[in-house]
Amino acid sequence: MGIDLKLEKGEGAVTVAVCGEIDMSSSTQMRDALSPLFQNNNKVIVVDLSGVSYIDSSGIATLVEGLQWSHSSKNKFRLAALTPGVKDVFEIARLLTVFEVFDTKEQALTP
Amino acid sequence: MVAPIKLSVPSDPKYLGLVRKVLQELLDKHRVPDDTARRLILCVDEACANIIKHSYEGPCDEPIEATFTIEDDDFKVQIRDYGKQCDTSKIKPRELDCIRPGGLGTHFMNEVMDEVSYCTDRAKGTLLTMIKHLKSEFTSARDKDKG
Repeated sequence: MGIDLKLEKGEGAVTVAVCGEIDMSSSTQMRDALSPLFQNNNKVIVVDLSGVSYIDSSGIATLVEGLQWSHSSKNKFRLAALTPGVKDVFEIARLLTVFEVFDTKEQALTP
Repeated sequence: MVAPIKLSVPSDPKYLGLVRKVLQELLDKHRVPDDTARRLILCVDEACANIIKHSYEGPCDEPIEATFTIEDDDFKVQIRDYGKQCDTSKIKPRELDCIRPGGLGTHFMNEVMDEVSYCTDRAKGTLLTMIKHLKSEFTSARDKDKG
């Protein structure tokens, strides 16, 4: 079981739409997609999680790497459209207030 | 006495989805509310992932044996592996104030479950037991149905 990833590039911003279940077997796929984006000159990276029905700690760990990139580069790493199941995992991890979380992808792309 | 459901999968991350699906089906059959079921599935998934990562450390063909029981409003899961034993006193969730990748799985298990225990009193491997008392979840779901 893998995940589908779709990248959309705009002016200084890139959106990564993830679809599927993010677990130990698929989180490396997401890491492989996100890591190169940290090297480029992206001002904003938005991860659209509207298609993600499940996320485990390995998926969260990958997103925390994005958070660390944003802190060190002063760029923005934003999460959008968390499904109830994914939001609950962030709540248990007490990370909902640590990330910049938006209801929609469009809101996350607004400067 | 309700007969337990037993599931054995190889220590390959690609089977974690199968474990989640089987458990989802079982929890649905027992009418465990969705939000509670999601959290129980997360804990079992994290426990199996920890076995793959820390107990077997790589090989994908070692056994992970899970036994699920739902009885008297209690959910109990026992997960047996035959890999490396670790010092169970050192299995601790990481400090949540320290934001860094990794180490959350144990936190999820301790946060969601009412009881988590590890037994290494055997020649090889570990038996993990996790219990969740579901009485209040079942009661509020029944009250919602009545209302």
